[in-house]
Amino acid sequence: MIEFDNVGLHYGTGPEILRNLNFKIDPGSFHFLTGPSGAGKTSLLRLLLLSLRPTSGKLTMFDKDVAGLDKEAMMAMRQHIGIVFQEFRLLEHLTTFENVALPLAVRGEPEASYRSNVQELLDWVGLGHQINARPELLSGGEKQRAAIARAVIAKPELLLADEPTGNVDPELAERLLHLFVELNRMGTTIILATHELHLLDQFRFPRLQLQDGEVSIHD
Amino acid sequence: MIDQFLNRNRSEISVVPRSSIAGRTLALLVAIMTFLSCVTFGAVYMVQNSAVAWSSEVGREITIQLQPVQGDEMTSNVRTAISLALDSPGVGSAKELTIEDSERLLAPWLGDEFDLEGFDLPRLVVVHLSDPRAFDRASLEEKLNQSLPDATIDSHKPWQQKLNAMSGTIVFSGLLALMLIMAATILAVIFATNGAMASNREIVDVLHFIGASDRYIAGAFQSRFFAIGLQGGIVGGAAALVFFILAGIITNYLLPSQNAEQVELLFGQFSLGWLGIIGLIIVVAIIAGLTSITSRITVHRFLAQVAP
Repeated sequence: MIEFDNVGLHYGTGPEILRNLNFKIDPGSFHFLTGPSGAGKTSLLRLLLLSLRPTSGKLTMFDKDVAGLDKEAMMAMRQHIGIVFQEFRLLEHLTTFENVALPLAVRGEPEASYRSNVQELLDWVGLGHQINARPELLSGGEKQRAAIARAVIAKPELLLADEPTGNVDPELAERLLHLFVELNRMGTTIILATHELHLLDQFRFPRLQLQDGEVSIHD
Repeated sequence: MIDQFLNRNRSEISVVPRSSIAGRTLALLVAIMTFLSCVTFGAVYMVQNSAVAWSSEVGREITIQLQPVQGDEMTSNVRTAISLALDSPGVGSAKELTIEDSERLLAPWLGDEFDLEGFDLPRLVVVHLSDPRAFDRASLEEKLNQSLPDATIDSHKPWQQKLNAMSGTIVFSGLLALMLIMAATILAVIFATNGAMASNREIVDVLHFIGASDRYIAGAFQSRFFAIGLQGGIVGGAAALVFFILAGIITNYLLPSQNAEQVELLFGQFSLGWLGIIGLIIVVAIIAGLTSITSRITVHRFLAQVAP
């Protein structure tokens, strides 16, 4: 599904943030992405989200070299990817239902075709009672669950999560991780960036360890 | 309400907030620009109509001027001039401007009691042309020269030319002002659109992250800006219509009759008529269209500069 072949990245004329990345991500796998602050986790996720291009090496995603993608093809590929941000990034003027349904709406699907699916998913993440609430009325945990629901509603093949437990209490963080595990069991490939090592110990998934811009894999 | 209608057939989710400070500022700006454009257009339209009516009226009239002579000879000369005029092709009527008529015309400047009887004034014959194209001025001049060598013809041509030049200048200046207002509208819409896009940058980023194409994002913002342009245009156009109605009421009922006559001399009847109202609607449509096209180009430029 994803192959890094000697990939490097630097911003402008600055030093290399990532270098000599060589690894593969298989479909249906679950990987933690860990490393200290400033190690390049967010830059690696931005490469995977196609908002950055490698400055050296070759990155292949969904059997395509991302270097050759134009903007339209890139957006089309992005529709196979779900993303969860640490700071949620829900649209404040939309209800929970509308925020979660957004990836389907931008594909031009009529509301009638997805209404029941969105309601079902919101029930599954425990937000059925907040369907018409705007983000300002949701707690941190509810916002993060809404963000996760938005990321998975269009059934992406790849789900990226950038510190999804960073803004919630430890108990909720553990519940959210169980949610990701459940999604992975249903077939979604997941790469979850976190620096909360105590959470990782509860799950036996391979870790992509970033240190000084280089990655090592720990099974 | 307008944007709800525009969004009905697109997507049920309104990705661009319906009300924002930037949106309200743009709507107010478009309303003001539309009001100025409509008032300018209305004024130009009325001056043009008035000038055409004046010019046409003046073009249908000539005056024969007879130098003063003593006694009954003057009366005979006037009759001869009227007779020669009536025999000419294209002439509908010819009548003498009597001393009483002259006194009435001069009354606003010389007063009602002023008596012209003691003055040796030229006598005038006013000739109304039923068909100005059939009228042959040279032929009438020749006949007058044979019978009344001192008679002269004044067709008001120089005055008509000055009037046309003046109205032409007003119309040209008005159209220039209209173009400048349109140009200012375009520039203001560019600034307002850029501001609105910058304030909605988070929405653009999130839409990009969930795979929305630039076409989708541009469409969403564009329909919002079109709705704003239309709302502002309708408000500005309606305000201009109210302005003309009030101006008509003031000139007809509130101003002293002499002042009202002077205003009417310049603008004609202070009323736009159906054609004028249709013109205002076209101005509103042009402003809304300009806002839409300008914001479309600005949004596409903004999206091209923003990394997805």
